[in-house]
Amino acid sequence: MNPWILLSVALPSVAGILLLAVSFGEYIRGSEKAFTRGVQVYTAAALALSASVSLYTAWQGEKECSLFEWLDGILVYFRIDALGRLMVTAVSIAWLLIGFYSLAYMGHEGKETRYFGFYLLLYGILTGLSFSGNLVTMYFFYELMTLVSMPLVLHSGSREAVMAALKYLFYSMCGAYCGLFGMVFLYRYCHTLDFTAGGALNLAAVQGHEGILLTAVFVMILGFGAKAGMLPLHSWLPAAHPVAPSPASALLSGTIVKFGALAVIRTVYYVVGPGFLRGTWVQYVWMVLALLTVFMGSLLAYREPVLKKRLAYSTVSQVSYILFGISLLVPDAVEGALLHMVVHAFVKCGLFLTAGVFIYRFGYTRVDRLGGLGRKMPVTLWCYTVFALALTGIPPTGGFVSKWYLAEGALQSGIPVFSWLGPVVLLVSALLTAGYLFPVTIKGFFPGEEKDPGNGAKEEPSPLMLIPLMVLAALALLLGIMPNPLIRYISQITLEVFS
Amino acid sequence: MNKILMLIVVLFPIFSGVLIPMLPFRGRRAMCIFIEGCALAESALVFFLLQNPPAETLTVFRFTGNLSITFRVDGMGALFAGMASFLWPLALLYSFEYMKHEHSEKSFFLFYLITYGITLGIALAENILTMYFFFEMLSMATLPLIMHTRTREAFLASRSYLYYMLGGAAFAFIGMIFILTYGTTSSFVPGGVLDTVKIGDKGNLLLLVYVLCFCGFSVKTAVFPFSSWLPKAGVAPTPVTALLHAVAVVNTGAFAAMRVTYYSFGTDLLRGTWAQNVVMALVVITIVYGCSRALKETHLKRRLAWSTVSNLSYILFGVVIMTPLGLVGGMSHMLFHSFMKICSFFCAGAVIYKTGRNYVYELDGLGRKMPKVFVTFTVSSLALMGVPGLCGFVSKWNLCRAAVDSENPLAYAGVAALMVSALLTAIYMLTMMIRAFFPGRDFDYGKLSEAKDPNWLMLLPLAVFVAVMFCFGLRSGPVIRFLQEITGVVRF
Amino acid sequence: MDFVRNFPFISIILSLFSGPLSSILSGKWAKRINTAVIAVIGVMSACVLAYVAGTGEEFIYYMGHFPAPWGNEIRVGELEAFMAVFFCIIMLLCMLGGMKERLTQIEESKQNLYYIMVNLLLCSLLALIYTNDLFTAYVFVEINTISACGLIMIRQNGRTFEAAIRYMIMSLLGSGLLLLGLCFLYSVTGHLLMSNIQQQVRLLTAMGEYHIPLMVALCLMSVGLAIKSALYPFHSWLPDAYGYSTVSSAAILSSLVSKGYIFLLIKIFYRVIGFDIICESKVIHVLYVFGIMGMIMGSVSAIREDNIRRMIAYSSVAQVGYIYMGLGLGTEAGVVASIYHVLSHAATKSLLFVAASGLTDASGGSVRFKDLRGAGYRHKLAGIAFMVGSLSMVGLPMFSGFISKLLFSQEAVGHTHKMLPTLIALAVSTVLNAVYFMKTVISIYMPPGEEVELAESRNIAMREQPGKSVALVCFIILNLIMGLNSEPIIHLIETGLGMFR
Repeated sequence: MNPWILLSVALPSVAGILLLAVSFGEYIRGSEKAFTRGVQVYTAAALALSASVSLYTAWQGEKECSLFEWLDGILVYFRIDALGRLMVTAVSIAWLLIGFYSLAYMGHEGKETRYFGFYLLLYGILTGLSFSGNLVTMYFFYELMTLVSMPLVLHSGSREAVMAALKYLFYSMCGAYCGLFGMVFLYRYCHTLDFTAGGALNLAAVQGHEGILLTAVFVMILGFGAKAGMLPLHSWLPAAHPVAPSPASALLSGTIVKFGALAVIRTVYYVVGPGFLRGTWVQYVWMVLALLTVFMGSLLAYREPVLKKRLAYSTVSQVSYILFGISLLVPDAVEGALLHMVVHAFVKCGLFLTAGVFIYRFGYTRVDRLGGLGRKMPVTLWCYTVFALALTGIPPTGGFVSKWYLAEGALQSGIPVFSWLGPVVLLVSALLTAGYLFPVTIKGFFPGEEKDPGNGAKEEPSPLMLIPLMVLAALALLLGIMPNPLIRYISQITLEVFS
Repeated sequence: MNKILMLIVVLFPIFSGVLIPMLPFRGRRAMCIFIEGCALAESALVFFLLQNPPAETLTVFRFTGNLSITFRVDGMGALFAGMASFLWPLALLYSFEYMKHEHSEKSFFLFYLITYGITLGIALAENILTMYFFFEMLSMATLPLIMHTRTREAFLASRSYLYYMLGGAAFAFIGMIFILTYGTTSSFVPGGVLDTVKIGDKGNLLLLVYVLCFCGFSVKTAVFPFSSWLPKAGVAPTPVTALLHAVAVVNTGAFAAMRVTYYSFGTDLLRGTWAQNVVMALVVITIVYGCSRALKETHLKRRLAWSTVSNLSYILFGVVIMTPLGLVGGMSHMLFHSFMKICSFFCAGAVIYKTGRNYVYELDGLGRKMPKVFVTFTVSSLALMGVPGLCGFVSKWNLCRAAVDSENPLAYAGVAALMVSALLTAIYMLTMMIRAFFPGRDFDYGKLSEAKDPNWLMLLPLAVFVAVMFCFGLRSGPVIRFLQEITGVVRF
Repeated sequence: MDFVRNFPFISIILSLFSGPLSSILSGKWAKRINTAVIAVIGVMSACVLAYVAGTGEEFIYYMGHFPAPWGNEIRVGELEAFMAVFFCIIMLLCMLGGMKERLTQIEESKQNLYYIMVNLLLCSLLALIYTNDLFTAYVFVEINTISACGLIMIRQNGRTFEAAIRYMIMSLLGSGLLLLGLCFLYSVTGHLLMSNIQQQVRLLTAMGEYHIPLMVALCLMSVGLAIKSALYPFHSWLPDAYGYSTVSSAAILSSLVSKGYIFLLIKIFYRVIGFDIICESKVIHVLYVFGIMGMIMGSVSAIREDNIRRMIAYSSVAQVGYIYMGLGLGTEAGVVASIYHVLSHAATKSLLFVAASGLTDASGGSVRFKDLRGAGYRHKLAGIAFMVGSLSMVGLPMFSGFISKLLFSQEAVGHTHKMLPTLIALAVSTVLNAVYFMKTVISIYMPPGEEVELAESRNIAMREQPGKSVALVCFIILNLIMGLNSEPIIHLIETGLGMFR
């Protein structure tokens, strides 16, 4: 029993629920008050406090905490391991930055109390999700994550936002139920559902039931992959992002989709074990799907004129890099995947926040309107350029390192066809990424003749919005220049999993 | 003494029901107090009985030979009786308020109480004849409740209700006769009573009879293709739809199916046969079919009724897995679904009562005007979807676990069906909630000025149900262990 | 106590002579005499029953103390006596229940005639029950036919004439076949007395001679009686005859007359041919198949009816099907079930007819379902009674129909080949019964539609029709007794059948 774990889950949740209660009261009375200074301070304080508690808890070392028997023989069980620690750290950084950004940004969307209520609650849930010590506890937080993040998507309350939110909800639910389907089988054929590095398959029980178990694992990968935007359940992403407020898109794309990947990792490496899947049809189909998604996502992003939608497709593509890395089932590729998870979290947050700045300042959503911004907001656009570099995978950014590892892992894996096809697809996709991200930079700095350069006055956003962008850009660069501490940390995880 | 109590428990509500039209009440309030008092006293009696279960059986009456009306308290019956006696007083509380806008209340409460007694009769039945007897009585006693509104719709609904019920009973009758002839006794004995020597080479016939009998009893549980009566029966006042057609009556069908499968035919003879496959296929089809129909339906109560169709087949799915775990799963869903579905129906009833709106597309914006009702509604929807933390997940988990454990390929398909159904449930329930809470940015709330939350009579039951859903959802261990104890008796 | 042995004969004679006596009396007195006679015969039969049950064995009454083959014999066992009692009760209640209709529907001058017919009918029924002589049985079958025709046609309108003529033709065909069969038997065996014929038949079967003539005779008699008791393909006379005649006629015809023939057939099976021989013959399978068909087709026809009386009439076809199905099972227990169903159906069907007449009274005399809506509220007792009857027909536990269903299916389960068809047919027929009876029950408890002129329908209090009310209450009680306390009755039937051997 470790109170810190509980506290790190409960603190933001309670803080969020309090805000929600206030917001619900106002909603019933029909009188929505302005977002007062006091509430702003409360939110910021709660966010900072809970982030520090989470980080402190995470870096305390291996701790575990089991609560009560939830299902027959299954406890609500938390354990901090290296992977969870990594997730919590990444999420906390992103959360703090997006949170401060939102304080400034949400002014023009309204209903801030509700937004921050869900925002804090979601943070608690993600912490719980990262700390979950067994599959069922993870599933619990996974479902809650879907339910609580949905109101962020429909924040504006417009018809299309509601429809997009429902789409998001139903895709996620579909994924979650696929996950549950597989979980039941794992419960039968594993010694335990507690996360054990390298898997806990009960080989004696599996004897003769490999077919159904493989199917179950595959369904699980598909299901959790839905959250990560893997084919065929990817289409919620481009629907949900454009209608959600930009910070909400940022945290959807930056963090929540990663938890789909996390769930897949937990399933494959911590419950089933990579050995069971290696060389089976599941691995091949999975790789095909991941590569297809990588390629198709990039292609669709390339053709998409609306910036946020373009970024959403980009997420589809980039998260499948991670899934592809995981699917290879070799240490280097998994290392690359985890690295990419971190890098992409920061980078995609940054990209969406930048897109938010454009919307906040000018109301522009389409890429072709974004010419000539370099003069008006050079800092923002430079940040954007760093993010674009990182996402494309050009040194010295983090994206390069992670993609390097991914490609290396693929080549090392020795899987016929895929060991060379994978890197090729990654490369093509990187080209496409460059193709869809850089036009904004190019047009921004070199608008050409016909564009009116304007009066040249600076129109940078407020520091509250700008600083998070800069921090994220710095992080993206830092991960490219000094990746070694992170790589060392991650190699611990892979070592554990593959031993 | 305790022995007699079993009879008293069955007869007391029937007599107090009959008293309602006879007593000269001074005003409606007095009548309500009398009825609630009777129901509470009855529930107290039931719980006392379940606390001190009599060891022996009580034979009330003999038809012929060894065919008798006999009562006994056993684990499964205790569960069912306990559930009924927990829900009935709450449902009555709700109906006092709800029935204000309906006519001829007295006859309504008369039959409502009679149904209580008969349901307990089914729970306490010691042998198959007793169960059949009360099963038929139940069909008849609930008929006037469906006819209550006396509209043409009610007329047609009650007609098809009766056709299905009596038809189902006719096929169940075949099974009963078979048990009487080929069984060593007519009582319910864990593990089944069939005498394999007597059956000899009639194995296939036995299976056919089982299928007929199962279908017959399951007509009450609205198994496909006998499900269309349930949505039609939604014309009855909401307390009836909620308590009887989502919980008590329909659960008796599932209860009977359990009794027949586990206590009369015996799962040893049935497991792995074509009969199991047939009934399981039916059940799996129903799970998906009910949900799909619910999705298509725009009438609020009918949508919930179709949802009931699907959820009842979850219970039956547990039953036809034919393992102790399956029975645990089935019973847990029977228990939990009762709370979830009665709660949803009561919420729907509150909306109908307060606003007169019957269709899903009329729910726009009501979440703001009736927040308590709709928050409850949302919680029960989430529970029905099987969101972890609420009770629906627990039973779904147990069902799936049992299905996987049974290593029957068709059961795997059933697990998939459960997942599909959960997804469909999410779609048809949450679209309603979203409608109510997020009607669109420029929705005019002025149109809803008349709508507001109902009074405590309606809200109290809802609050209790929500509490129960959370309790069971977070801490299911004790309940499940209790169910395992019950089923541990069953020999496999 | 030996005086009791005379009672069967006395009761036949009493009813025979009270007929002519009624013709010279006024209508009122004829009615009283008639009621008294039925009651007295009932009491006397009860004494006989007690006597037979006391001694534990049957007795044979030689008329004029002439032994066979010259004299005529009456043979009284437990079952016969019980049947007589039961028939008297039903008849009394039917007469009571249809009293008002008789007064309004029958011409003043014909009132006497009605009582004569009823007395004759009773006489012939008693004779059919008691007689030990095939030819006597034939004679009384004819008397029965004639009086039944009278009962149908006495309510004078076009439909009843047609119905009576149809009934007459079909019935005469039936009795003609019976006579033919009888002649065959006589020429083969040289006897008319049942017990003597049986001895000869046994001898012949043992020697293996005259197999075909015997079977032909059996077929002829079975078909003849089947026609008369409206077994399925021969039922066309029935709906009109029951549907349009006056209530007490319909009730008596459906519950007693056809049952008398069935009882005679059972007697022929047991006492003339020998039950084991019957069971070995194919006749039994034919009856079984026709019975099953009747169960289904009768109900299907009933569903299509829009006239409550004709619907009940068609339901009789189905119920007769049950009885023949039970006989067709070819076991002792099957016959017990059939006899139980004879009783149960007699009690239920007359209840339904009387209740239906109460309902139509409350709906301005209309027999269509549309007009009957809400009748259950207008005539409360009739509504309840109709519901009880319907539930009994559907076979709900507590009512008599359930017990007979139980007996049939319990017996059927033991069979190898007939088990499944029987069980399925029972289930299907239950569903069909439910369809039409429950439809009616629900519609009489639904408020009337707008199209009905409410002026015609009126509320009827219990006190308004004392006869009907008493009859209905008695019927309901009878039904409940048979449903709840069936064991002694079944036991009685079993011992009675035992005496047949």
